[in-house]
Amino acid sequence: MHNVWTLVKREYLERVRSRSFVIFTLVMPAIMAGVVLIPATLDQMSTGGERKIVIVANNPQLASVVGQQLGNPRTQTQPEELGKARAAKLYSIRVDTDTSEAERARLGQQVNAGQITGFLWLTDDALATHSVVYSTREASDFTQSRELRNAISTGIARYRLSQKGMSGPDVDAVLTPIRLDTMRIEKGHQGASGTAVFLTAFAMVMLLYSVVLIYGLAVMRSVIEEKSTRILEVLLSSVTAKELLAGKIIGVGAVGLTQIVVWVVFALIFSVPGLVAAKSFLGEMHIPMPAMIAFAVFFLLGYLLYSAMYAAIGAMVNTDQEAQQMQWPALIPLVLGVVLMNAVIQHPNSAMAFWLSMVPFFAPILMLLRIVIEQPPLWQILLCLGLMLATIYGLLSLASRIYRVGILMYGKRPTWPELRRWLRYAG
Amino acid sequence: MRWPETRRDKGYIPVAQSKVITFHPQPDRSACAVELRGVHKRYDHFVAVDHLYVSIREGSVYGLLGPNGAGKTSTIRMMIGITMPDDGHVRLFGEPFHRRQLRRIGYMPEERGLYKRMKVLDHLILLGRLHDLTERDARDRAMKWCERLKIASWTHNKVEELSKGMQQKVQFIATLLHDPDLVIMDEPFSGLDPANAVMLKDVLIDLKKAGKTILFSTHRMDQVERLCDSICLIDHGRAILEGDLKKIKASYGKNHVQIECEGDPHLENCDLVQSVNNYGNYVEVQLKPGADAQRLLRVAADRVRISRFELLEPSLEEIFIDQVGKHQVSKHA
Repeated sequence: MHNVWTLVKREYLERVRSRSFVIFTLVMPAIMAGVVLIPATLDQMSTGGERKIVIVANNPQLASVVGQQLGNPRTQTQPEELGKARAAKLYSIRVDTDTSEAERARLGQQVNAGQITGFLWLTDDALATHSVVYSTREASDFTQSRELRNAISTGIARYRLSQKGMSGPDVDAVLTPIRLDTMRIEKGHQGASGTAVFLTAFAMVMLLYSVVLIYGLAVMRSVIEEKSTRILEVLLSSVTAKELLAGKIIGVGAVGLTQIVVWVVFALIFSVPGLVAAKSFLGEMHIPMPAMIAFAVFFLLGYLLYSAMYAAIGAMVNTDQEAQQMQWPALIPLVLGVVLMNAVIQHPNSAMAFWLSMVPFFAPILMLLRIVIEQPPLWQILLCLGLMLATIYGLLSLASRIYRVGILMYGKRPTWPELRRWLRYAG
Repeated sequence: MRWPETRRDKGYIPVAQSKVITFHPQPDRSACAVELRGVHKRYDHFVAVDHLYVSIREGSVYGLLGPNGAGKTSTIRMMIGITMPDDGHVRLFGEPFHRRQLRRIGYMPEERGLYKRMKVLDHLILLGRLHDLTERDARDRAMKWCERLKIASWTHNKVEELSKGMQQKVQFIATLLHDPDLVIMDEPFSGLDPANAVMLKDVLIDLKKAGKTILFSTHRMDQVERLCDSICLIDHGRAILEGDLKKIKASYGKNHVQIECEGDPHLENCDLVQSVNNYGNYVEVQLKPGADAQRLLRVAADRVRISRFELLEPSLEEIFIDQVGKHQVSKHA
């Protein structure tokens, strides 16, 4: 145990002190933050100044209702807080009742000259055909055309309903869109909304997937590095191959855990403002305690399972290039788990979801997913953990046999029959 | 194949089972640093070590010799528990093998290396810790060794920043840091620059003076002749010659003759001569078994003017080639 501890300490300190660890740990949250913040910032920057729009209509009342509707925040696609602030000054509306072709040409010239942003041809003829033309130079601005379409539809409906004698509040009541919130039931209580659960599950699974993959590969590369620097035989004169393998897997795993902890802390510190903004359309972002525990358990088990495979692969090969060709036995099940995620998300209670999540190689991803999005029966979770532990035990003993022989073998990569013989060697 | 208990208990080691010649009486077992008793290792159908018996006396310098692929490294790996023998026993310091004895052994493998990105001192401390030294003890010893080998100013550099020669020094220190009683070095001189080779030789001699047991394997005979007390010559995993180096050489007798002369004496066809090597300045002749050197002198003197005629012991290299050759002949016969 003393030796294992010494090896774990080395593996951990050397990695955590390395420049690449520090950079990766810092850059990853920056990328994550960038994914969220940059589009929002760009969007804000790109909206530019005021939009001068001329509404050409035979009916000035209809035109002004549509114009008001454009200024109405509810037609905006942005979150409400931002929308309110922007809507007031975004559109400057002028109503024009001259529907002649000459006026159309004149407005076209104004658009070209940049005096107005665009004009909306809302004549009675256009309304009769349910087809309205908005002429502008920025025809590719989808956000704006969606806003316009919403404003026109709602404006026309509002105008016609009030023409039929409906009062203002009644019209509002009719036109307010229905928002659908899917809530998850947890132990009979009402829990988080569907979107939030889905996003939480997705984030957790992707984090688990990427960390297991990154650190599984780190174990493999570390074994290859020890092989290629020829340090192994020096070490083997005082420690056993099993101690080496244990020290490596535990040490690298501890680095992975450290990274996750750092990221979670980062996320808590920096994403609080983001979460507040996101609340309006996501509902409460809410990670229940059982999901956190499940994440920790499945991360550890998943990491053990895959790192054992990666360590064995590392022991079999001599170079990174060879490892690339040999790593499919470890890579495919992991990627397949992510691919199958979609099927499990759609039918988390199906027999297929059950069987898939029982496969130890997929379990870290699929069972975790099921635990986060629904609550599988306890026996299923326990069965799954039992199967995983048995598989990990088997894989570790297999890996340590391959490792023990492989680390002293240089040169040619073993063939399958050779590998089978390695497993039988006495020691 | 196992030898009957009774024979083993009498301390009789049947090295002479085939063509093996022993040149010293079986030493007192308690004074053996390493004892291999019928150790056997097989990889699939390939026999790497074939029922090998070796005893290395404490305080001796022992050479494990043999051509490439003879089983030297496989033998050493079994001595220190990197691999386990399929058959036979390993005894260390008079006791059956146990991993806790490894702290008394320093091993420098032929395939040697260090963690490239670790700092020199950290690296030495790590290896010391793995040999049960305390951190402080390992640090003190490492610093002392680094000063002795003149790399003290590099202890805070990464290993990869050191020159190859300095990395070799770090490797020696790593092997000797825990003050082992038994030092095992596999091909220690391969890849060494001349300065380091001299330094290593001096260190080994100091260790010998301090009463340490040294085992090294090599196929370079000149070093063995200068350093070793005893040798074991192995080929195809079998010992074909084992024992005290001086006695082995003496037993071969002085059947070598060096003749310094003017011109070529053309001794190839002489019926006294086994083989001739003409080096230009002198001719080296191996006599046929039982041939009289005096008769050769007369034959040669008839043909050329002789300025020197000297009887020599065979070099270890010649014994080696002779033995390996014989062994192969008998094997194929």
